[in-house]
Amino acid sequence: MMSGRGSQIRMSALVMGACLLLVLGLTIPAVPADVKQETAGGAGAQLAAGYGELAYVLPAVGSYSLPPLGMAGNGRVLDESGAAQDLHSLFAGKYVLLSFMYSSCQEVNGCPLSAHVLYKIKAALQQDAGLAEKLRLISLSFDPEHDTPEVMRLYAENFRYAGAQGDWRFLTTAAQTELRPLLTAYRQEIQREITVNGGQADTYAHLLRVFLVDPQRRIRNIYSVGFLHPDVLLNDVRTLLQEQQQAGSRLPPLRQGKEADLLALAHNPPLGLPPAPEAFKALTEDKIQLGRKLFFDRRLSINNTFSCAMCHIPEQGFTSNEMATAVGVEGRSVRRNSPSLYNVGYASRLFHDGRDSKLEEQIWQPLMARNEMANPSVGYVLDKIRAIPDYQGWFETAFAGQGVSMQTLGEALAAYERTLLSADSAFDRWYYGKDAQALGEDAQQGFRLFTGKARCSTCHTLNEQAALFTDNQLHNTGVGYRESMGIHPAKQRVSLAPGVTVEVDQSIIESVGETPAPDLGLYEITLNPADRWKYRTAGLRNIALTAPYMHNGSFATLEEVIRFYNQGGIKNATLSPLIQPLNLSDTEVGYLLAFLNALTGSNVEMLAADALAAPVGDPVSTVPDGGKLQ
Amino acid sequence: MKLIRKNALFLPVAICSVLTLVGLESKPVAADETCMSPYMAKITGQEDYVYVWTLGVEGLGDGQDKLVTVDVNPASKNYGKVIQTLSVGGRNEAHHSGFTDDRKYLWAGGLDTNKLFIFDVSTDPAKPALHKVIEDFTSASGGVVGPHTTYALPGRMLITGLSNNKDHGGRTAMVEYTNDGEYVATYWMPTDGDLNGAEKGGKFADGYGYDVRALPRRNVMVSSSFTGWSNYMMDFGKMLKDEEAMKRFGNTVVVWDLHAKKPKKVLDVPGAPLEIRCAWQENHNWCVTTTALTSKIWLIYEDDKQEWQAKPVADIGDPAKVPLPVDISIAANDSGLWVDTFMDGKSRYFDMTDPFNPKQTYEATIGKQLNMVSESWDGKRLYYTSSLLANWDKKGADNEQFFKAYTWDGSSLTPKFAIDFTAEKLGRPHQMRFGAHSLYAQTRPAGQDKELATLESK
Repeated sequence: MMSGRGSQIRMSALVMGACLLLVLGLTIPAVPADVKQETAGGAGAQLAAGYGELAYVLPAVGSYSLPPLGMAGNGRVLDESGAAQDLHSLFAGKYVLLSFMYSSCQEVNGCPLSAHVLYKIKAALQQDAGLAEKLRLISLSFDPEHDTPEVMRLYAENFRYAGAQGDWRFLTTAAQTELRPLLTAYRQEIQREITVNGGQADTYAHLLRVFLVDPQRRIRNIYSVGFLHPDVLLNDVRTLLQEQQQAGSRLPPLRQGKEADLLALAHNPPLGLPPAPEAFKALTEDKIQLGRKLFFDRRLSINNTFSCAMCHIPEQGFTSNEMATAVGVEGRSVRRNSPSLYNVGYASRLFHDGRDSKLEEQIWQPLMARNEMANPSVGYVLDKIRAIPDYQGWFETAFAGQGVSMQTLGEALAAYERTLLSADSAFDRWYYGKDAQALGEDAQQGFRLFTGKARCSTCHTLNEQAALFTDNQLHNTGVGYRESMGIHPAKQRVSLAPGVTVEVDQSIIESVGETPAPDLGLYEITLNPADRWKYRTAGLRNIALTAPYMHNGSFATLEEVIRFYNQGGIKNATLSPLIQPLNLSDTEVGYLLAFLNALTGSNVEMLAADALAAPVGDPVSTVPDGGKLQ
Repeated sequence: MKLIRKNALFLPVAICSVLTLVGLESKPVAADETCMSPYMAKITGQEDYVYVWTLGVEGLGDGQDKLVTVDVNPASKNYGKVIQTLSVGGRNEAHHSGFTDDRKYLWAGGLDTNKLFIFDVSTDPAKPALHKVIEDFTSASGGVVGPHTTYALPGRMLITGLSNNKDHGGRTAMVEYTNDGEYVATYWMPTDGDLNGAEKGGKFADGYGYDVRALPRRNVMVSSSFTGWSNYMMDFGKMLKDEEAMKRFGNTVVVWDLHAKKPKKVLDVPGAPLEIRCAWQENHNWCVTTTALTSKIWLIYEDDKQEWQAKPVADIGDPAKVPLPVDISIAANDSGLWVDTFMDGKSRYFDMTDPFNPKQTYEATIGKQLNMVSESWDGKRLYYTSSLLANWDKKGADNEQFFKAYTWDGSSLTPKFAIDFTAEKLGRPHQMRFGAHSLYAQTRPAGQDKELATLESK
């Protein structure tokens, strides 16, 4: 069928050339009216932007980067003389603009557009010998039956008026079998049109694509109709020429960290903290580093989305400032506020209800809780860590040959958590360091109230040697009681945007909210009615950094907390007798606030920076449960 | 045999065929197809299938996310039926999806697990197949969480993120991949601390992300801003009561240099601007978005000094009642905009003839909750789904989960069929994309067509 079409082929190439010249002269061929809205420049445009003046200012040459888009494919091609060679050999260390086309294509915004653009580029090369030396233009036919080397040579004749300088090759292939791998490599989807009689037409449907390839044969840009303009392509080529080195991937400027000497910190607790507990003596650099890596590893959850750090966020006081009560895997609600981990190595009771006492053991609660990290079993967690390549040998090194186990995993995580020591605050320097200038007068007044009229130190304890500001006991302040009894206003104030607040009926909130889980505090552990709504006294170090406050995050500010205690909490049957109205004036509330704000340790930025330097564990292509589906 | 490409159209992409171009039957009026990337083929005639990216519900059927294929061709004996479900494993917070520019593959993201599921929809459009799963999106991108919009650029995909792996907050980026699924680059959204050369046009530069659209003829790309993982995965009622959480919503739209992929200007658009659609008509240099929380239509437009600006141009329902506009669809001739509001389950039509002064001309209640809307090219067929986010959907009896098909005659919607996704044990239907054999020079398989008499008797 094809052999009988020689004259027709030649004719089509010549007609094509004539048509093209018309286009170059910006004569607009007839286009069906319905097509007007479906051309590249947007609805209404008849000719693609590439035929006219560029309608916008391009970014300056070199002001942007063109990250590689993969390697440019190879295949056997025929040049105008009929000689066969690899396409790659024609790249020859040059920048290449490669266009797929066929000579009889007549759609004005198709192959003629790419030919026009390359023609304009070649014309521009007449004024830039340096660029002409480095750039090669290639038009490669995807119609080997029609576009023989002879036809391509004839076709090329149409473009000789662009000028002699510069290099433009017109290639084809010997057969479909040679062409197909090239089309696949460049994802050029070609479909032969079907005639009204069901036969094959001479025309093709295809996505117009021009590829910019660098001397390393990497694709650096792909142009479609909308961006196929000579100015754009030349801008990109010149940008690549200015490129001093590989653009590389744009990895995050998100937040940069800096590792700290956590072992030294643990061995020498900052001013104001008690001496290091016995458990600190077992700390080693290896254990801390391993624990830190585990702490930030999101793969420790069932679906690889949750690490310890997703709730205990270093930049947010090792809690979360962005929510009152936590959420876990799949967004499942957690009923309590994430406790801060500053100085947790001193804590003898863990969790808001004090249900655990050892850091090494408490890890299994969040690891296994269905609404936290949701792992299905202890064995699953241990096996998963064992299978992650980047932990290979690490446990054995840190634990004298012991591999991953409940014990070593607990010890590693606890090792890191014990190093999160923070003190040497303005208060510490004043009170324990005896620096009279370290603490402002308001804060000093606040301290006197804290230990006197306001009676805060009854529970938030300190002594003459050190202060953790917690008695490690549990008390009922009424906050839990209020929550359980559903004491809240009929309408909820909801902030929609800065300065835009509405009152929303509780019924509307309930229509989109699940029923909150019950929370009875220590009672859930002891089953003693006297322990209803008792929660652990929070330490106050870095308290300014750990909003929102209380076990359910129900207070946004410290001032709200102070005023809550000033009114004597919320009365209920088991309210702690220590909670009484305080009769503090507004000035005194301010003094207390100044004191609390003076409890921020001097090393909080160092701890946050160290945390940011830690790698975040996310699935990679080699993760054991990754990439199963193909 | 008819023209094989009669009802498929490569839009800003060129087709070297006059035959293709003369096969068009009618001028577009409104179209979800035009809401997609301008770089890909469009279905201009009767779509054969709607692919519904569906969230698994624990305890319902197999409990996992799936791509559900609905036959929507009235000529089919399967019209109105689910003809395939393809479960992908896990609940990933299935959300949005988008085709590659060659429309051979559908990329569907999981906002929770950060996986990208790539479906082959061209080999057999009636039976999409799972081709590849990108599992390392977060590590490859340098910490981006919540792959949302999968937007086709020539030979590559641009994926907007919603969050990050450091704190699950709203700071995020856009990520570029090749069509082969190879990571290319990460483009962080501009913040006060790192504007990356952008001009700050107002008070905010929050670094949040959500949707993206391109306006190639102005070399402009526009992105919007929602919220981080902590909020979009949180129980909706819990979040509304949480003062801190409610402070963490996006208030910005960013105008980018499309070619350089660099931010040019950060515009204040307070109240969580979500979906973006850009106008198609020549000299209509504007895009439109709606703010979910403050319930307004915002125009993002280029002024006569070629400066990009943002302006609120209409309220959607009563903003004080927080109707929560979610999905929008612009007419191909820019004359109208469909707006779905989640809380009241309504679909509203706005006359956009004057984009600075939109007027609502029609509304209908589709269900007790409503999220996505997709239209056929000619605007005559509309499809709706119900689910917003797994933990934001209504609770109890109001938690209707449906796919509904309507026709639109220019003045009213007429229901055609509905599929109850709960009764069918499928899950929560979210985004819809259209499929057609004609896109791939295929005819519908023999045996699918109804007998003519049957068709006529309907």
